Amino acid sequence: MSALILRLRQSSHQRIDMSPFTPERLADMKLSDIVQLPLWQGNQQVACGDLFTLSGDDPQDIVIQSDSDRLDEIGSGMTNGSIHIEGCAGAYLGRSMGGGSLSVSGDVGIAAGCNMSAGTLTIAGNAGDLLGGAITGERQGMRGGKILVKGNTGDRAGDQMRRGTILISGNAGDYCASRMIAGTLVVLGEAGAKTGLAMRRGTLLLSQEPVSLPATFNDNGKHNLNFLTLLTRSFQDQAGFSDMWERGSRVQRWLGDLGCDGKGEILVWC
Amino acid sequence: MLTKLTGGTLYDPANAIEGKVRDIYIRDGRIVSTPPASEPVHRSYALDGKIVMAGAIDLHTHIGGGKVNIARTMLPEDHREHVRRSTTLTRSGSGHATPSTLAAGYRYAEMGYTSCFEPAILPVNARQAHMEMADTPMIDTGGYAMLGNDDLLLEMIAEGAEQETINDYVAWTLHATQCIGIKVVNPGGINAFKFNARELDVDDLHPHYRISPRKILRTLSLALNNLGVPHPLHVHASNLGVPGNFHSTLSTMDAAEGLPIHLTHVQFHSYGAEGDRKFSSSAAEIAEAVNRHPNISIDVGQIMFGQTVTVSGDTMRQYANHGHAHPNKWTCMDIECDAGCGVVPFRYRDKNFVNALQWAIGLELFLMIDDPWRVFLTTDHPNGAPFTSYPHLIRLLMDRSFRNDLLSQINPDAAASSHLSTLDRVYSLYEIAIMTRAAPARILGLTDRGHLAPGAIADIAVYHQADNPERMFQQPMLVFKQGEVVVEEGRITRPINGTTQVVRPDYDPGIEKRLGDWFEQYHSIKLQNFRISDDEMAAGIGSAVTIHPCRGRN
Repeated sequence: MSALILRLRQSSHQRIDMSPFTPERLADMKLSDIVQLPLWQGNQQVACGDLFTLSGDDPQDIVIQSDSDRLDEIGSGMTNGSIHIEGCAGAYLGRSMGGGSLSVSGDVGIAAGCNMSAGTLTIAGNAGDLLGGAITGERQGMRGGKILVKGNTGDRAGDQMRRGTILISGNAGDYCASRMIAGTLVVLGEAGAKTGLAMRRGTLLLSQEPVSLPATFNDNGKHNLNFLTLLTRSFQDQAGFSDMWERGSRVQRWLGDLGCDGKGEILVWC
Repeated sequence: MLTKLTGGTLYDPANAIEGKVRDIYIRDGRIVSTPPASEPVHRSYALDGKIVMAGAIDLHTHIGGGKVNIARTMLPEDHREHVRRSTTLTRSGSGHATPSTLAAGYRYAEMGYTSCFEPAILPVNARQAHMEMADTPMIDTGGYAMLGNDDLLLEMIAEGAEQETINDYVAWTLHATQCIGIKVVNPGGINAFKFNARELDVDDLHPHYRISPRKILRTLSLALNNLGVPHPLHVHASNLGVPGNFHSTLSTMDAAEGLPIHLTHVQFHSYGAEGDRKFSSSAAEIAEAVNRHPNISIDVGQIMFGQTVTVSGDTMRQYANHGHAHPNKWTCMDIECDAGCGVVPFRYRDKNFVNALQWAIGLELFLMIDDPWRVFLTTDHPNGAPFTSYPHLIRLLMDRSFRNDLLSQINPDAAASSHLSTLDRVYSLYEIAIMTRAAPARILGLTDRGHLAPGAIADIAVYHQADNPERMFQQPMLVFKQGEVVVEEGRITRPINGTTQVVRPDYDPGIEKRLGDWFEQYHSIKLQNFRISDDEMAAGIGSAVTIHPCRGRN
């Protein structure tokens, strides 16, 4: 068996809904059936074979080759297997993902990993707004699993996040961890303005002070928090985060957002 | 042009026709009497063995206005999960609990409904509500303006204003808001909420104005009676949803002092506080009172199990219920001091004691109120369930074994504490036609619809005979609107737009002096901008008005 490879024939002006392409939805389908699979392109349905050239036969191992930022909902709802994107992805990458592994070599659009509950999402490039957040109207963002971003993210990373881990090697935009309910979010670069706005619980670990904090965060001073040793050691197998544990466990701590529960913590290594 | 419907079996209660085979002739959008044999028939439909009724009328369905839009924006998942695709004729829409305007209009027509009435138009929101209803295709619409929690009326009553002055204000409101009736929601209670009251029973005094809901009910029902407005005061009574609230409902009936009033979604107002759980059915007491008072009509507000959203002007009660929000998001807000608004999503569960008993109470009311002319088939869309569940509800009323099957599946304690299993009554097609056509037309004063006699607008629904009434009412064979076929076999074949139904009681324009001062001092817009003209309805809003007669002022 060889990986099922989809190569985008030509860039599309319209957005393409890729949600039918998950290992479980394609399981037991022959290549000849997959070619016929109808995909929404804008407001039209188009056969998959008209948009992509396909090869391979293992739907447990899907490779998508595309430089387009218009392929939305890749890996949406996947629960097993793997999808690797050579190039870029559009919005809602890995939305409501419940398992498996999803990786991208380039940049992705808004709301990557939104509402995901398990599995691993690895983004080698930059991510858009609302990484690990909630699709409009939902009350909880990411509920589990792990997101790793090697580049930067847009605004509101971890919005309404409930559980799980987000690791960002680059910078995070404004309102990082906004409305966070619980979970862990780490930023090695710089976090933007109003970091932690309306955060209820959860842990935000930063390597430097964010651009600004809301006025409703209280400075708790410097602390030795031994749990950080355990936390950072658990990242030892993550590229870019493997030497984090060397930074020790002494941090400056803020608690907030006092406008909500006020039990969220922002920790910055000193 | 003459259209003939041949051989259909008619159910036309307004003209006492029950299951008789009659031909119907239509000319220029109206039903006409049998023309001379020499006159050529241009189109003819063979309806042998088919059931023919007037187009259905829903007199209480929240399809327009601010709170519906708040519910739509609050529940994007309701729209993501229920998509209606466009066709060559129709446009796309979405939503189940609160469908988009287009989806609502299409779906109503597909079930044989031709007129629908939005029961809670805040006067200050009337423009928005009419715009939304103008955007709801296929059906004629109308609305009831909400009074009874606005500071002006309460102030007038508190200072002992003449009934004549209040009559003028009520009539002016009907004109200005282009409405067909007046509704009062939790009389005085929404306003009292803003003065920190969390309950207000019928004889309690408003914390600021020191008047009772009873006084407000009496004043408004008298005003409508004096003005000759056909639809009686439409009352959402005090203490909605509170165990033991049937006392308030009975007091509300008394407050009318014999004048006609319509009590809406009475299911939510028929609760006792007996039993281990301090929640029981008082449908029998309510039904008995309705049977005894010929001045009272009700609609039921049946609940159905599943996800929906409750939208109401009753800020006081919605605030009290917000803990039950599912999914966990809700809002309550004041609307320009006119009244209030509360939107709380809700999921009724059949295994939940309270929800299961609510379901049974609604059906008990249907089955224990004797006169089908005074009980209307509603789910208080979307508060009890979306209107799309009407065919299912009709089956529950018409099919006893189906009803008992479902009764055996609900929470057993609730089933045991309900009289439902002992109620043998089943509704006939004729009675269904009364409660969904003839009676709503009569109580709204619509003489031009709800029946099939010459002179009526040719709004007609034709159904296939079927053993299962749910199937039958879900998908009419044909629906005529103004004499044209608009739906065939449950699918839209001709998209059209309806008109807005209004009444115009006379009033003394002198009232505008006081209103003008009030607007100048307290309101966010000027009096001239507040009122909606006929031209604006037709050209700007896009739904011309159809004026229905009043009885004349007395």
